[in-house]
Amino acid sequence: MSDTGHSEGKLRYGMVIDLDKCTGCMACSVACQAENNISFRADESNKLRSITWMEIYHLNNGKGYPDYQFAYLPRPCMHCDAPHHSPCTFVCPVNATTRDERNGLVTHIYPRCIGCRYCMVACPYHARDFNWWDPAWPKPMESMLSPEVSPRMRGVVEKCTFCSHRMMKARSKAYLDKADLEAVEYTPACAEACPTKAITFGNIRDANSEVGKLIKDPRAFRILAKLHTEPKVYYLSGHEWVRKQADNVVKG
Amino acid sequence: NWFWRPSPARGEITRKPTVCALCEGGCGVQARLVDGKRAILLEGNPNHPVNQGGICALGAAGLQFLYAPYRIAQPLKQTKRRGDPTGFQPIAWNEAVGELAKKLGQMRADGKPNGLAGITRRRCSSMDALLNQFFAAYGSPNLFKMPAHADSLKLAGAVTTGREAPFGCNIEDAPYILSFGAGLVEGWGSPGRMQAAFRRWRQGGKSAAKIVQVDSRCSTTAAMADRWIAVPPGTEAALALGIAHLMVKDKLYDAEFMADRVFGFEDWTDSQGKNHKGFKFLVQTDAYTPEAISKLTGVDPAKIRELAKEFGTQKGAVAVWGQPQGSVPKDMYNELSFLALNALKGNIKAGGAIGLAPEVPLGALPELPGDPSALKGLKQLRLDLASSQKGPPPVLPGNNLHGFLDAVSNGGKYPIEVMLVHEANPAYGLCENKLFQQALTKIGTLVSLSSYMDETAQQADLILPIHTAFEGFDDVIGIPGAPYAYYGVCAPVLKPHLNTKAAGDIVMSVAKQLGGSIAAALPWASHEEYLKKRAEGLAASARGALADKKGVELWKLQPEEAVKPNYKDGADLWKKLAGGACWYDAPVDPLKDLKTESGKFELAAQLLLAKGQTGDDDQVYLPHFSQVPPRGSDKDYPLLLVTYQMSALADRDLANPPFMTKTVFDFILRQNDQFVEINPATASELGMAEGDSAVLKTPQGEVPVRVHLYAGARPKVVYLAQGLGHKAYDEYIKDKGVNANGVVEVQLDRVTGLGTVWAARAHLRRA
Repeated sequence: MSDTGHSEGKLRYGMVIDLDKCTGCMACSVACQAENNISFRADESNKLRSITWMEIYHLNNGKGYPDYQFAYLPRPCMHCDAPHHSPCTFVCPVNATTRDERNGLVTHIYPRCIGCRYCMVACPYHARDFNWWDPAWPKPMESMLSPEVSPRMRGVVEKCTFCSHRMMKARSKAYLDKADLEAVEYTPACAEACPTKAITFGNIRDANSEVGKLIKDPRAFRILAKLHTEPKVYYLSGHEWVRKQADNVVKG
Repeated sequence: NWFWRPSPARGEITRKPTVCALCEGGCGVQARLVDGKRAILLEGNPNHPVNQGGICALGAAGLQFLYAPYRIAQPLKQTKRRGDPTGFQPIAWNEAVGELAKKLGQMRADGKPNGLAGITRRRCSSMDALLNQFFAAYGSPNLFKMPAHADSLKLAGAVTTGREAPFGCNIEDAPYILSFGAGLVEGWGSPGRMQAAFRRWRQGGKSAAKIVQVDSRCSTTAAMADRWIAVPPGTEAALALGIAHLMVKDKLYDAEFMADRVFGFEDWTDSQGKNHKGFKFLVQTDAYTPEAISKLTGVDPAKIRELAKEFGTQKGAVAVWGQPQGSVPKDMYNELSFLALNALKGNIKAGGAIGLAPEVPLGALPELPGDPSALKGLKQLRLDLASSQKGPPPVLPGNNLHGFLDAVSNGGKYPIEVMLVHEANPAYGLCENKLFQQALTKIGTLVSLSSYMDETAQQADLILPIHTAFEGFDDVIGIPGAPYAYYGVCAPVLKPHLNTKAAGDIVMSVAKQLGGSIAAALPWASHEEYLKKRAEGLAASARGALADKKGVELWKLQPEEAVKPNYKDGADLWKKLAGGACWYDAPVDPLKDLKTESGKFELAAQLLLAKGQTGDDDQVYLPHFSQVPPRGSDKDYPLLLVTYQMSALADRDLANPPFMTKTVFDFILRQNDQFVEINPATASELGMAEGDSAVLKTPQGEVPVRVHLYAGARPKVVYLAQGLGHKAYDEYIKDKGVNANGVVEVQLDRVTGLGTVWAARAHLRRA
């Protein structure tokens, strides 16, 4: 038991996204949609209604032509590791969203979800989306739905799971192989798809893992670190203007 | 369970590797299958040397093409007026093919085989060779490809080296890349290759390669580059020559290379004994001084000097150019100018960064017997060359689809009775696409070989639906922009779920029905067998090797290096190719067996002289900067329109799949409104604010848009993304945004006649 009252192991899955390598190609976001059976509608331009687990933001340095510069920032769920609770798990009245303290994944159990959307309000990262409509795929596109991830129904909230189904698969294999369950490694669909390998995934508690090393990089930062939500998604950028925007510094 | 939510059937999950044919990039992918029956996701193949496990957004969404609702399920015949969607009636395959064969047979019997025309998108596949063979055996010279940068690059290869092959660049290992508007991270011919290269350049937070992007707009490449040099649209070549001026003046060029291997750097004498000025003289004239170039480009003379010094002194620095998806040819003198800059640097030699794309020694097709009816048709000039044109004819005509369509619509020398369109969508994706529409009114029968009910198929009289690359055999020959040799086979990952056929099989069955010499020219039993024979020929060459495991670094291959074959025979090679491994071979020495008149790399193009290119002075044989102003007057059209490609928007011949549309920013598309980017200063001059509705007008047409204030946009220039504005397909695609191809301006290059695009004059007014 840790001092927060939870049993905690040496395993905390986390992600490092190198913004200097991200070319905004959108492969991560598309691969995520295909992997996780994310539904789509004819009009996806209202971003408050559109369901996107991996959303890409467009940041700029605020300067004029020709000193203008921009960068892309892919945003999955941060799987906040704040002591005791993540912002979303704290407010859920029905325990639909909880954090698995064995590995730090913030999960969402759809059949439990009552669609109250408190979690969406609580999340400072806009990482959660609500199913305003029945999911519907044009015929015959239902054929490409993956049996490994359950499609969601109208009225529930959904978000990035760090591809927890891949983790479960890797854990099952490790269990059968009698391997150390706390050393299980896997790759989410976004990291696998990324053609520049800007996304790295692994155990951030392991100082020798790739992510363990990257989060010590002087370019590393987290979004809204001042809120102490302790996101497990880290970013890397060599541009100060990018790092500055992470804490939402008000101009003036 | 919830009845309104689908429950995907479970089953054994397997993976089947193949090569992606959605673009020409040649990436290795693998389809994840459930029970071998449903394909659920396309992933990058980690063992493939081109994309090294990565995938692009189009590839990741690729299966949405396979299961698209707008796939064509069976052959269709238009029974009402052309373009009437209610007029399409299902027709049996043998009837459809029989009807086409009968029509073609009749045309040949009438002695008019040249009345057949064709357009294909698949320039880098064996389908291209097959169609060429069919057209030659049938007797028509009118086979075209959808335009591409390779069209003009090939001719630049012919001019400078005597070999009609496009140039490639060993960009992965370049320490310094001076990019003249090349959309490197947006794709540049092969998105998988370029993203993998970018990963090398940005390893570990360091810049292993310095990228300098010359671009009028802050594109993604400009944003990701180490330095962005902002210039007005269309002046990139001027800056290149400005840099060349300083390199010559300050002796920063490879003098030994220029003296030994290059013709026309110094003054030269032609075969008639006439003296001409060389490039050294021309580039040193006042037109290319830093001050003059600064006037043209707005780049400070000091900055030009700094760039020239950096580029001239940095070992291995390379200059690259061309658009993201390479879909538009460039002006010949533009091509020659960028090549000249590389020549000065000594890049165009064995071991240099720039090489000529090597030929892939695939099995040859049977020789044509020289059938009299076919020869009669082939004796007729290609329609664009046979018909009278405005202005002098191009001296070095290329794949002039624009010229051809223009000739058709203006009643060319002979009529086009049947037009085959294969895997292309010119009605949407051709720049100035109304040309296709106009030509169509003069064409007897339009036959579409397409998988999708796109804008072109909608206009067809007969639709012969084909497999997607995931259901039938296909191949990719060479990677655009790469200096090494490449061959990949796209093997089906699952059985076709619709009543479609492979395009090759359709052409072969038409040939069989036509019989005689045509059937003999295409002797294979199926498209698969044809590809097998091609691979057997490749094996017989005993060259190259297969990359079937991780760690093959194609960019490390040395020119003319003997790559040891790791396959046993043709059957073994085919088995491995069909299993997702690709074949590769070393680059060639671009200066080996030069077929130019001088036997050297020709900066002064004697080919142009021989072909009768004339001009006021010697610069017509040399790289130089000239710009044809777009149509219209400054007064009516005070702005310039420039279109751009995005990696998250499919354009030209494919529609954007819904997964990709989800990633489109809401400042590019909101509901059905597309935004143009304008500089905030230009917006305030026009009295416009963010989100305002406006009408964008060019001499080619006008479209409704909304305005997005973008500080990365050059003042007085309007930027419009390509890939939206479809009028076909389904509710996920149709009527979203505007088609950029309808408002751009095509200029026919004076040397090659190819349709080039750089900008159109534009007017933006409040709606």
